[in-house]
Amino acid sequence: MNKIMNIVFLISSCLLLVLQSYGQVDTIVIGFGGYDGVSITSSDDSQFDPENTLNQDGFLPNLNAAARFLSQATIGYNQAEIETVTNMGIEDWLENQLNTPMPYTLLTKSKEYHQYVKDQTGNPEYGSNARMWDYSWWQYHMTTDDYVRQRVAMALSEIVVISDKSNFGNNPYALSDFYDILLQNAFGNYRDILEEVTYHASMGVYLTHMNNYKSNIETNQFPDENYAREIMQLFTIGLNLLNDDGTVIVDSLGLPVPTYDNSDIIEFSKIFTGLTWADRDKYGKGALKDTSYIPQMAMWNEHHEPGEKYLLNDFVVPDRNPVDGNADITDALDNLFNHQNVGPFICKLLIQRMVTSNPPPSYVERVVQKFNDNGEGVRGDMKAVVKAILLDPIAKSCDSGEDYTFGKLREPFVRYFQINKAFNASTTSGNYRNDMDYIYKYVEQKPLTSPSVFNFYQYDYQPIGPVEEADLFAPEFQITNAQTITGWINSLYRFVINENIADEYDLFNGEDNALYEDEISQLDLSTEIMYTTDDKLHILVDRLNLILAQGRLSDMTVNTIIEALKKFDQSDEDDFELRAKLAIYLVMTTPEYLINR
Amino acid sequence: MCKRKISRRTFLGEASCAAIGSTAFLSSFLNLGMINTLAARPHIISNTNDYKAMVCILLAGGADTYNVLVPTESSEYDDYVATRGSLALDKNATNPAQLIDLDYDDNGRTFAVHAGMTKVRDMFDNNNLSFISNIGTLIEPIANKADYQSGTKKIPLGLYSHSDQIMQWQTSVPQSRSAVGVGGRMADILQDMNTIPQVSMNISLAGKNRFQTGKEYNEYSISNNTTSANIGYDGLPSWWSNSGFLNDIKNGVINNAVEQEYNNIFERTMSSLTEQTAGSIEVFQKAFGNIVPLATEFSDTNLSKDLKKIAETISVKSYLGANRQIFFVTIGGWDHHDNVILNQNAMLPVVSNALSEFNDALTEIGMQNDVVTFTISDFARTLTTNGNGSDHAWGGNQMIMGGPVNGGQIFGNYPSLALDGNDLNLSGRGRILPTTSVDEFYAELALWFGVSPNDLDYILPNLCNFYSSSNCTVPPAGDYSPIGMFS
Repeated sequence: MNKIMNIVFLISSCLLLVLQSYGQVDTIVIGFGGYDGVSITSSDDSQFDPENTLNQDGFLPNLNAAARFLSQATIGYNQAEIETVTNMGIEDWLENQLNTPMPYTLLTKSKEYHQYVKDQTGNPEYGSNARMWDYSWWQYHMTTDDYVRQRVAMALSEIVVISDKSNFGNNPYALSDFYDILLQNAFGNYRDILEEVTYHASMGVYLTHMNNYKSNIETNQFPDENYAREIMQLFTIGLNLLNDDGTVIVDSLGLPVPTYDNSDIIEFSKIFTGLTWADRDKYGKGALKDTSYIPQMAMWNEHHEPGEKYLLNDFVVPDRNPVDGNADITDALDNLFNHQNVGPFICKLLIQRMVTSNPPPSYVERVVQKFNDNGEGVRGDMKAVVKAILLDPIAKSCDSGEDYTFGKLREPFVRYFQINKAFNASTTSGNYRNDMDYIYKYVEQKPLTSPSVFNFYQYDYQPIGPVEEADLFAPEFQITNAQTITGWINSLYRFVINENIADEYDLFNGEDNALYEDEISQLDLSTEIMYTTDDKLHILVDRLNLILAQGRLSDMTVNTIIEALKKFDQSDEDDFELRAKLAIYLVMTTPEYLINR
Repeated sequence: MCKRKISRRTFLGEASCAAIGSTAFLSSFLNLGMINTLAARPHIISNTNDYKAMVCILLAGGADTYNVLVPTESSEYDDYVATRGSLALDKNATNPAQLIDLDYDDNGRTFAVHAGMTKVRDMFDNNNLSFISNIGTLIEPIANKADYQSGTKKIPLGLYSHSDQIMQWQTSVPQSRSAVGVGGRMADILQDMNTIPQVSMNISLAGKNRFQTGKEYNEYSISNNTTSANIGYDGLPSWWSNSGFLNDIKNGVINNAVEQEYNNIFERTMSSLTEQTAGSIEVFQKAFGNIVPLATEFSDTNLSKDLKKIAETISVKSYLGANRQIFFVTIGGWDHHDNVILNQNAMLPVVSNALSEFNDALTEIGMQNDVVTFTISDFARTLTTNGNGSDHAWGGNQMIMGGPVNGGQIFGNYPSLALDGNDLNLSGRGRILPTTSVDEFYAELALWFGVSPNDLDYILPNLCNFYSSSNCTVPPAGDYSPIGMFS
């Protein structure tokens, strides 16, 4: 057996990956360990800051660092994208992403699917259904290259929540058009997101400010408080006053200071009155048709609460005469948007979704500064926020992952999506169908399916054990129980070993399967299969360690998996394929993979 | 070294355990805080051969329970109609009825239940079920609106918010946001009454929940379609050669990975959760393989299916080594800001029928005298309307069912529903200050369940506020029974 010695100069302390075609590898690492105790000087500092040698700015990442960055910046990627990042550098790759336009909308796609069904059935009245939304979402995410937009939109969908567990659960227009807000504004301004979701009929139905009436003292009738409460608690300012670094402000007794009380909710409930369907000529009615969800809700001033409204930070909405509900809403959204809490509250949630469950206050503060002012005097600029989150040293430096409190449980749906991307799921037509039915059954997550407006998990969920003892949070563990733990492992069995990676079904009753045979996904494991003989298994597991786990699998885990794989036959093509599948299955069940750090 | 799943009871009893030498292990125990006081006390645990279970049904979203239980005495009913306006149910409607009378008369006070709850009415009239009226989350007693506004009383955090009040109903600690709940703390105390240590006393049909989270013990989650055939990991395909042997290898890798020592707190949490799950699988496989089909017929609703699965699980309790079990079920969709009347017409029969079916099934397996079932919900809703719905409020009405319960009663104090001149009404919207605390309710349940009075302050840290204004270290009197739910 060849024994090869590699000498590697490591600037970053990212776990080392050495691709080697055979044999055992010894590695000597120089410079391992990050900044501490290291100083670097340069003979020419006219162009380069020598500090950058340590903090990596302007340097190309190694493969693990690139994979780690992609695991934060996207919901799925493959080996080719890792190499692209190593060639372009993280900063340029991200800049390119931030300027990648949204190629089309989910609404357009849903309409196409609906039209297809009408054409195929010859019935122009044929109704829409939920699969048109599912397929639109999946087609978009499998085929477009705006990866960071997708990541941010999904994070936003878990902050400004609507769900198909509602009256519009079967309506692709209600779901697609709402998700488009999140995709379209992922790099826009958070104030626009607030405005668009407030006026969206799906939100109006979900949080019941659609057809909200003004007070009628005679009948003891008062405005619905639902949206007033949740826009404050969940979409803007949260329950407690926060510092810019996300820490809770406490009073003289050490207690958190509430951001609002119930009288504030009553005032805001008056604001969100008078909105109804844009296509109705009467107030207080239901949806006329599935597409009624697309236009923004319309204001009917005669149903809007007149008079002053006393909002936060002593702001008073004037007694407008004549009543002008839209102007009231503008005032109220400005009042919320400009509240000091929005930056820390929303930025922390975004960091939790993308990077780590417990961001250090200094990290939150750096991002919040960009939220409060992007450098050009603009508040709420999502582009600046996304950049600040992903390029922060805490996110980028692999050292941070060595901190025992760093990281997050990968969202189960993101793990599933990653299988599709990592192993280049393809169809013969380039069109993809997937209603994501099984992954939802197994792990209780897919886009826009949370059980309530409180998302799949809350930001402050604490599983018992070390996380609770350290008084830290681990949101994703809220949907991690005996059912979903075995569910995830069994889903890998279905998706990878049994090759049922996606759930393709008829779009209308009696659709001929031949019509969508070319839309059935297949994983491509050809590269993995090349490394499945005993002498090459370490290459296979190293490869999976890079693409799936960013190099976080320990030597011990890698060896355990290799030794297990060796116990399986290696006599023919079938055996090689099975070994490759099993390797993926085993890597994706390990805690080192499941936690992204 | 000691496995982490060793219980605190056992651990403290066996001081020679080698794990004492591990500082990491020890420090995690020191962090538990309660450990010393708990260790010092005798835990009076009843005869371990008896069996008791409680079933908590969470009506998630905040059910409008002032339309579940409605006063029918004329002046009280007039207040109800005046306040609720378009939301009021008509006690005189007959075709169809909107309210059905209960066989109950307390000095002229009479009540009806929503007409969708005929089975609940029947069980109430047959002394199988009672209501607890105007119960809610409290840190300490608050006498009236003036008391509430005085600034001297502790008010629950995030009052009227879903996330807080749904949490507080499960933790019974409304002054903080805590991960640990009442059922979990009972399990911390009583888990050793069960004979298979790795099988949790807490079984959930609703995934993770705070009610069943203890300092030491997690719930074990099943679903209503869990069977011995589908629990655990899917095996490798039978057409693989040697699939049995290879399955062992595969599962060995999974187990190996979770038994490693991890530095990162999330990796540690993940591996210990997986380990707990894996440790229960075989036991449940065997237990569920011994379920004899029930003759009782259950409706085709999720709640009925959940309760059926619970009845089945109770029927094989001996295979689970269980002398004490706590079950948790959720039925969501009660946040009726819109269409409260129509939605309750559809949803209350689901609850009523499921409760009745469950009661029948427990009778069938001879366990009706060993199981207590109760409902909880975030809060009740505003008495006034927002058009055709109602908003978040506080005190409400809940149900408790089972052989051990004094049936046919309305416990607590059903409040006046008048908006004006009502010193329990906190707002023009009609939000009622609770007069019975969740703590008092759980204390009686815990005592019935076999928790020692000495341990009540671990399970319900605020409880002493409701029986003593001064000394919280003294347990309540031996006959402590503030509500009187049990004989």
